[in-house]
Amino acid sequence: MSDQSHSLPRAKIQKDALSLFFWALPVAAAIMCGWFLLHDFVLAGPSITIYFKDAQGLQVQNSMVKYRGVEIGTVESLELAHHGQDVAVRASLHRSAADVARQGSIFWIVRPELKVGAISGLQTIVSGSYVAVQPGAGGPTNVFNGSTEEPPPPIPGISITLLSDDLGAIEPQSDILYRGLKVGSVLNYRLDDNARYIVVNARIMQEYAPLVRVDSEFWNAGGINAHLGLFSGLNITAESAQTLVAGGLAFATPEKYGAPATNGAVFFINNKEDKTWDDWNPIIPLNTQPESKKTKNEWPQLNAQ
Amino acid sequence: MDKVVACGTCGLVQEVDGEVPLGAVVKCARCNFQIFHRRVDSGSRTLAFSLAAGILYFPSNLYPIVTAEYQGQSVQTTIFQGISSLWHDGQYFIGGLVFCTSLFTPALKILGLIFITLTLNWPRFKKTRAWIYKIIRIIDPWNMLEVFLLAICVSMVEMGEVATVHPGRGVFSFAAVVVLTLCGTLTFDSRLLWDSAAERKKYE
Ligand SMILES: [Zn+2]
Repeated sequence: MSDQSHSLPRAKIQKDALSLFFWALPVAAAIMCGWFLLHDFVLAGPSITIYFKDAQGLQVQNSMVKYRGVEIGTVESLELAHHGQDVAVRASLHRSAADVARQGSIFWIVRPELKVGAISGLQTIVSGSYVAVQPGAGGPTNVFNGSTEEPPPPIPGISITLLSDDLGAIEPQSDILYRGLKVGSVLNYRLDDNARYIVVNARIMQEYAPLVRVDSEFWNAGGINAHLGLFSGLNITAESAQTLVAGGLAFATPEKYGAPATNGAVFFINNKEDKTWDDWNPIIPLNTQPESKKTKNEWPQLNAQ
Repeated sequence: MDKVVACGTCGLVQEVDGEVPLGAVVKCARCNFQIFHRRVDSGSRTLAFSLAAGILYFPSNLYPIVTAEYQGQSVQTTIFQGISSLWHDGQYFIGGLVFCTSLFTPALKILGLIFITLTLNWPRFKKTRAWIYKIIRIIDPWNMLEVFLLAICVSMVEMGEVATVHPGRGVFSFAAVVVLTLCGTLTFDSRLLWDSAAERKKYE
């Protein structure tokens, strides 16, 4: 036997390095799963709940939360809350947008809208409605009350209050005109506590704020002002085509103007323009600033993560 | 190992010089293919493959296979959602087939292989092992993961014409499960089923 075996060729004996490699597979699989879990639960952004009166147009998993037109989260679930009084919209935010979940943030739903004077949310016709947000500056929170309408962008400027006997054609977003030029817009309106006046909140852009003086006169520029006079015939006035259909307000400032109006200044709205206001041609220096400085910090800044 | 062996590939009869140390393999002097009585390290390799497949089975089913984005709307689909939408559309046969071939039989096979390889040292389970192995052999032709994966890839390419399609996390895990279960069966030596512990030691 031993003689015979010596004449046979020798088989090679080699080290097998593969053995360990196979056990690296389940380890790698476990690491991969761990990474998924870490990504989903630890590194995930906050989950927030927004209560809306109406969540029409939102779809679970499909609708996005957007800020500045960029997707920052997804709607995870929609359900009734508060005994059917509200809809609770639960959304998960991306981690980079976690800073949006703070007090004072305003959420609203953007849907396609066609109203007199403006078409808005046109992109949502194809892409579906989405939840938009305007970040606040308060402390962190996860529960919000959604707004029914888009809040005015925080453009720098002054807020003024206008009192009117009659709402007329005034609407949110209606223009405020100076010499026919848009210098501000109506934010909202309500009846005052004693039901005496219509209280209209409006905002004048920072650049044009000096035009509003304590002795400025406002009048309703909306609709058609038709005056049928015995000798003058039919007299039709309208401030601009836009205000003709959408309503608007105009104002004039006397040549010997007073102090500039401050935030919260109150004015009465005259039902129609006085002839003499047309002749006021005051010279008022505007707040003209470099464009970059003007737009800076107009929106609250998010802290970089 | 025996002193004199024949190569299983080319048939060359050759001598093994001395003891083969642990973790070493014997290779044919002529064709350089490996010489073994039993597939080398079969039990533990199959277990490693099956465990890895079993772990990845979860993400492959829980995470979306594809994310299709169309005009700002994104739709994510998991395998299970795909099956239930087939079911809701009244496609019971196709839905059931996809459920069996891509969810049920892979799970059964992975669990079966893990059980067999873990209990190799207990002769008590010899009958159960053989029984489970029979089942695996029966369901194996129905294990059409690869076909399903191909179907997913084709539909992803097709959808790419109308929508932006991103592969989800699920599809990578799914592909890994396909490859791992395939390797698990390849490395498994069915002779292990009836080998006693002493025999296995002898053949190592
Ligand atoms: Zn050979």
